[in-house]
Amino acid sequence: MSPKNQIIAVYLFILVGTFLWLGTIFLAPYLKSQSSSMSGFLYALFSPVCHQLPSRSFVCFGYPLAVCARCLGIYVGFLIGVALFPVINGFSDIALPKTKLFIILTLPIGIDTLGNFLRLWASISWLRFVLGFLWGIILPYYFIVGIVDLAQHRSQSPSSASKRKSE
Amino acid sequence: MTDQKPSMLMPALVGGAVAGVLSAVPFLNCLCCLWIIGGAILAAHLLAKDSPVALTAGDGAIVGIFTGIVAAVIDAVVSIPFQAINSQFVQKFMEGLAEYTEEMPPGWENFLEEGAFEPSAPMFMLGLLISVVIFSLLGALGGIIGMSFFGKKRIQEDQGVIDAPKDSSHRQP
Repeated sequence: MSPKNQIIAVYLFILVGTFLWLGTIFLAPYLKSQSSSMSGFLYALFSPVCHQLPSRSFVCFGYPLAVCARCLGIYVGFLIGVALFPVINGFSDIALPKTKLFIILTLPIGIDTLGNFLRLWASISWLRFVLGFLWGIILPYYFIVGIVDLAQHRSQSPSSASKRKSE
Repeated sequence: MTDQKPSMLMPALVGGAVAGVLSAVPFLNCLCCLWIIGGAILAAHLLAKDSPVALTAGDGAIVGIFTGIVAAVIDAVVSIPFQAINSQFVQKFMEGLAEYTEEMPPGWENFLEEGAFEPSAPMFMLGLLISVVIFSLLGALGGIIGMSFFGKKRIQEDQGVIDAPKDSSHRQP
């Protein structure tokens, strides 16, 4: 597979995965509203990565989403970042973002999280969502580049090269 | 050419232990996935610190995946004694908030109890499996971010230049 095709394959895999991930977040309260027992499993699916406090989550179909507003912002931002990836980066030569940009986008969510954590203030859900969104937008530019780099190194490793030779 | 890259085991164990414990401790665990990403950044830093060669984003992804696996196991084990405290903490937190917020969704009192599964060995294993997958992905992300910070330091030191040579795994100009 050519490097460009490899990048496109990784990109599509991550795009579909992100869609499914976000869809599941909304599916959990929907199933809950339909009294489906599957909703408990979907809420449990997200419990390792989110506190799921109803007071800090958006409500959909009469029930809180499977993740809090900040996490939802991160995932929606991630999806938008993935969607914009071909426009901003293209598929031919991909590179990691500048550290300065990462710090600029991380500072707001970092300060807000710390302030809430230390109970200096309590941000409203929409502010949490927006700050998570801003941070989430840059994350795919690391994730896609890293996974592509990993895939390319794996395909160039001596073991896979000898495997190809023997085929 | 011999592979001079250092072992990823120790950085992954240290980063995973830090992330796993902090993710399990009540109150501290309200920072959600950030501990896993932070632990993987720490692992990437430890790996890059001991590496005589420049490391790539792919190396960061691998050490991050290992960190996520370690964190998931430690989180699952450390969470066991904290389970009761955790639910008490959440309940108290919710009651405190309910006194002055109007954002609480209807029926929130029952929500936490309804959503909870009865603890059992199969549920523990299923939860661990899910955590391993999710934490690995988050760890990979943290490892890549960490490597973008620390992975190129060695090249700059060796060559005495400020700008590292550009290839597919380097930063944007």
